[in-house]
Amino acid sequence: MSDNVEKYIKRKVHKGMSTKISQKFIDAGLEKIRACINCGTCTGSCPSGRRTAYRTRSAIRKALTGDESVLEDIDIWMCSTCYYCYERCPRDIPVTDMIIKLRNIAVEEGFILDSHFTLASDIFYATGHGVPANDPEAHKQWRALRESYGLPPLPPTVHSYPEAVKECQTLMNEVGFRALLDNAAKLKAKRKAEAEKIAKEKTEEEKK
Amino acid sequence: MTETKKEIIVTGKEKPRIGVYVCHCGINIAGVVDVVKLKDYALTLPDVVLAREYKFMCSDNGQSMIKEDIEAGLINRVVVAACSPRMHEPTFRLVCKEAGLNQFLFEQANIREHATWVNMYDPEGAYEIAKDHIRMSVAKARKLLPLEVQKVKVDPSCLIIGGGISGMNSALDLADEGYKVYLVERTPTIGGHMAQLDKTFPTMDCSACILTPKMVDVGRKEKIEIMTYSEVVDVSGYVGNFEVTIMKKPHYVDQEKCTACGSCAENCPITCGNEFDLGMGTRKAIYIPFPQAVPGEYTIDMEKCIKCGICAREDVCEPGAIKYDDKPEYVTVKVGTIIVATGWDLYDPTELGQYGYGRYPNVITGLQMERLLSSFGPVLGKPVRPSDLEAPHSIAFLQCVGSRNFREGGHSYCSRVCCMYATKQARQYKEKHPEAEVYIFYMDIRAFGKGYEEFYESAAENFGISYVRGRIAEVREGENHNIVIRAEDTLLQTPIELEVDLFVLSCGLEAKADADQVASLLSIQRSADGFFMEAHPKLKPVDTLTDGIFVAGVAQGPKDIPDAVAQAKGAASSAAALMAQGEVEIEPYYSVVIEHLCSGCRTCQSLCPFGAIDFDEFKKIAVVNPALCKGCGTCVSACPSGAMVQNHFANFQLNSIINVAVKQPTVENGGK
Amino acid sequence: MSEYKWRYAFFLGCVIPNRYPMIERSIRDVFEELGAEILDMPGASCCPAPGVFRAFHIPTWLVIAARNISIAEELGVSPLTGCNGCYGTLRDAWYDLEHNPEEKKHVNELLAKVGRQYKGNFEPKHVVQALYLDMGLDYLKDHIKHKFDDLKVGVHYGCHIVKPSDKRPWHGEYENPQFLDEIVEITGAKSIDYKDKYMCCGAGGAVRTAVKEVAADFTREKLVNMRDAGVDIIINCCPFCHLQLDLGQVEVNNFYKDIIGEPFKIPVIYITQLLGVAMGMDPNRLGLIKNHDLKGVSPFIPIDRFLDIVKEQII
Ligand SMILES: Cc1cc2nc3c(=O)[nH]c(=O)nc-3n(C[C@H](O)[C@H](O)[C@H](O)COP(=O)(O)OP(=O)(O)OC[C@H]3O[C@@H](n4cnc5c(N)ncnc54)[C@H](O)[C@@H]3O)c2cc1C
Ligand code: SF4
Ligand code: SF4
Ligand code: SF4
Ligand code: SF4
Repeated sequence: MSDNVEKYIKRKVHKGMSTKISQKFIDAGLEKIRACINCGTCTGSCPSGRRTAYRTRSAIRKALTGDESVLEDIDIWMCSTCYYCYERCPRDIPVTDMIIKLRNIAVEEGFILDSHFTLASDIFYATGHGVPANDPEAHKQWRALRESYGLPPLPPTVHSYPEAVKECQTLMNEVGFRALLDNAAKLKAKRKAEAEKIAKEKTEEEKK
Repeated sequence: MTETKKEIIVTGKEKPRIGVYVCHCGINIAGVVDVVKLKDYALTLPDVVLAREYKFMCSDNGQSMIKEDIEAGLINRVVVAACSPRMHEPTFRLVCKEAGLNQFLFEQANIREHATWVNMYDPEGAYEIAKDHIRMSVAKARKLLPLEVQKVKVDPSCLIIGGGISGMNSALDLADEGYKVYLVERTPTIGGHMAQLDKTFPTMDCSACILTPKMVDVGRKEKIEIMTYSEVVDVSGYVGNFEVTIMKKPHYVDQEKCTACGSCAENCPITCGNEFDLGMGTRKAIYIPFPQAVPGEYTIDMEKCIKCGICAREDVCEPGAIKYDDKPEYVTVKVGTIIVATGWDLYDPTELGQYGYGRYPNVITGLQMERLLSSFGPVLGKPVRPSDLEAPHSIAFLQCVGSRNFREGGHSYCSRVCCMYATKQARQYKEKHPEAEVYIFYMDIRAFGKGYEEFYESAAENFGISYVRGRIAEVREGENHNIVIRAEDTLLQTPIELEVDLFVLSCGLEAKADADQVASLLSIQRSADGFFMEAHPKLKPVDTLTDGIFVAGVAQGPKDIPDAVAQAKGAASSAAALMAQGEVEIEPYYSVVIEHLCSGCRTCQSLCPFGAIDFDEFKKIAVVNPALCKGCGTCVSACPSGAMVQNHFANFQLNSIINVAVKQPTVENGGK
Repeated sequence: MSEYKWRYAFFLGCVIPNRYPMIERSIRDVFEELGAEILDMPGASCCPAPGVFRAFHIPTWLVIAARNISIAEELGVSPLTGCNGCYGTLRDAWYDLEHNPEEKKHVNELLAKVGRQYKGNFEPKHVVQALYLDMGLDYLKDHIKHKFDDLKVGVHYGCHIVKPSDKRPWHGEYENPQFLDEIVEITGAKSIDYKDKYMCCGAGGAVRTAVKEVAADFTREKLVNMRDAGVDIIINCCPFCHLQLDLGQVEVNNFYKDIIGEPFKIPVIYITQLLGVAMGMDPNRLGLIKNHDLKGVSPFIPIDRFLDIVKEQII
């Protein structure tokens, strides 16, 4: 088949509402999206959609029709959680919360950006802060800045209480956060290896 | 076969002989449970002498089965295990009656709605529930007593509340059939909202041209007594015999003397916003709402009047009609029937802050647009936008404002007229300004009426109106008070931004703000959408659950003029049918006082919500007026002496049900 | 001791203490001056951020948020936050837990493992909420010493202080709130209306971490609109918006230099910094004079212009 034909004849099948993935959406409490009337109020309200390829309604629609590509796309990570769509949806769907749940499923399936993974694992899990100031070298100037305002170099947060960091980590382990991240890392690595393999095969084929 | 049979006398003393008839209801019941087994089960119950099952008990054949068994003297009580009594209790009662058995010796077990429908996927459970229902009905049937129906006269007169197009049509039909009509209208004129419309979809007849002659007709009919500027303040009585008190608000102008010359208004120094033009036009403190108003006499708005005395001057009002000390007047009328045709209010879009109504001058409602388009409106039918009074070059309409909105404060229903009125208004504007750009933003276009789809198609094809599928997300004010719209064109899957000169909100219709008071005044119900509730959505669309009271027009739910008029004529016909009979039967479920038990404490009297209990000062006991009693049972449960008994629902009858509800009958309590 | 009219547990979050300590300073000082006692919450962690960590794993977000709230509960007062993000988390978590007994039970089972308990008996509050609803405008007015009549302010609310509106104390108002403008205007400054005033800064929802250019494009649009309206300074009530509008200005000037014309340099000031100067406090201590000894620290956009405009009034 020539490339052109493959490009222009598309036989996409609507997956219906009973696929494994749509069941997952429902288990995650996303069934409210079935009420969506595709009015576009969410997309029209979305400050992100005005500058990116992210389309709130389309993401909701894909979730509803069991289209898994919604999890892979970086699009759903373009929502700034401004909550306009949540406020205005005429079917009273808590749209932003739905996007957040979609992201939860994406992470579960290993679709998490590198930068987000680092933030979650190396910063938040490790220090208890999302924006820390305790690195002896990298954060020196921030502690100095604190002191210049008559504040102690480290705030009275987890930074001053190492046992509180442990406490947070215990909770995160118990609630399954660590396992979730580790699994995501594994899935990510597996996918990367697969992609590399395919790329390699392709170049070899081309060489032939 | 149908000649009246000799009556079967049942006093309650003789042994009950019960016939149980199990209906298949096609497969509705028989498809889920074994009806033959149910029939056999019935035969095991006390006093059941025969049991049968049949495909459709309500059919001719089914009815004859019962009739024959009664006439053959086999049974003296009937239990039908079938559907809800709401539909067929009257059917089977009539069967009993025609066979000569007192119709209250009948009991219906609802094994369809209560058992087989709700437990379709659990046949065994459904079977058990069906058994329970049959057992309970048989238990009650054993205790039933014959009762006599009451008949009351129906006064051949009708009160119609609301003088819009619906109320007017009901009034005209009833008057033509010879009934006396009292047409009570709150504002100083009849006509309702239709008077505010310019043209009407889909035929584009001029609203005034078709409405005004009707208004004049109503005004002329001898049988119709118009009471404008009036409100119903009290309703008592019951079907056929309502007593209604109406307050006529003071006009401060003698309506008999006023010749509607208008000289007073010319001279009145006070100018204020005109309600009729939604604040976009003006009137004087002494006014008629609009030129074609019926009746045409003047009224003083005392909130605005400064009592300068000018209008009362002889040279101003020659007939001397001005009456500053006018007082409200109360009149009481007796009517047999009532029609509620109170219409609607427009949804107030202020709450939807994203649309800028009330904040930006160039955002208006569809009803305001209607006035702007009206040739006798504030701008004589040449629409301009509020900020600069220039004709807009571009207009966007937004559909479903306040409607199809499941959020708090919104209405979940479709308002049914706004798709068409927006299309109409867009077309009208295009007729006047073919060069203008007109957009209609919609979720779905609902063009379901006769000629509506054609009207819609032509708006797009012949008038070039742009329909954009997407609900507008937000607007803001751009330069020059223009309105900048943000939405998704859902068919292109693209967010869009569009700047227009004028933004029209196609607001929906909602229940009147005072629907609550009207409902409690008349003891009628409202449905979840706030409108008055019909007795049955399909089969009793103009009846309310209160006998003798009917509902017409938008008061019952959003509808356009054709539907409103159709329903108004239906309501008139139903009211006439009742009045034509001259009398009605009312169910004898009233309470009765066991005289020797009543201690005369009057507890019941103070609690009865229908004022049905009098006090016999001589005997010092309570007395129930059967015609007023609605059988609510409040007095029965309140009476400390146990002196109140409610017919057909007496304690011993209800107890008989409760006794078998949870246990199988045993030999001790009379089982076979 | 109890000369204080109000008591709050100060939930610092991350950005305030670790990147904009002058905001921490100004909240502590202004609240003290207004008669409100500020208690520290020992061992509090990241809230955790509502659009970030909640988006990774809702249960984690909920239990860590409950832990933070429980620290305030031990102090017997409401947690007070100066950050919209922390507010979003603490308040949504509180709301969700109070409306979902099952969830609450589960969270407490987890917390029990570290010897804590969440009760839900104290409503999480925002600094602006405390100022506007607890203290009230009239009370604040009595403390104002200087009026900045020539100051034109672009007010930026941010998102989570008003939305989701069903979980916020502003009676469902989210399209056109006025409370922050009203606080700004008691200082005599004028709040200038600008296009899309209530729009998001772009940082939230993990967008900044994902693609900085996208976040900066939101910010660019806001800055253009503010500049068109002629604002002198930006006032906000969230350190993350603050960061995005301050550091983000540098990024915008860099990423979008071809389309913005003049580079932006609009001073970004937190609401208690403005209130503090108006109440006669030392602008230096409030962080309104840049510390030039330290390199690579906030603020990234010079704030001198603000002091230039108001200096006559405060001397
Ligand atoms: C902008 C707009 C355009 C429209 N255009 C069209 C169109 O082109 N074609 C079409 O078919 N339909 C149209 N409609 C719909 C049409 O207006 C309604 O179908 C019609 O008004 C229904 O009439 P009604 O008599 O039921 O109610 P109303 O017109 O509301 O009349 C009710 C009357 O009852 C009175 N009343 C209310 N409460 C009381 C009370 N308690 N006591 C005494 N009196 C009371 C009111 O004052 C009023 O006079 C339009 C609607 C809107 C909003
Ligand atoms: S606003 Fe609500 S109903 Fe409309 S498209 Fe978005 S999710 Fe669907
Ligand atoms: S919450 Fe997200 S999806 Fe919704 S409007 Fe805001 S940025 Fe868009
Ligand atoms: S008395 Fe009242 S109604 Fe008459 S002219 Fe004066 S203001 Fe007008
Ligand atoms: S008639 Fe049209 S505009 Fe009105 S509520 Fe229904 S769909 Fe919406």
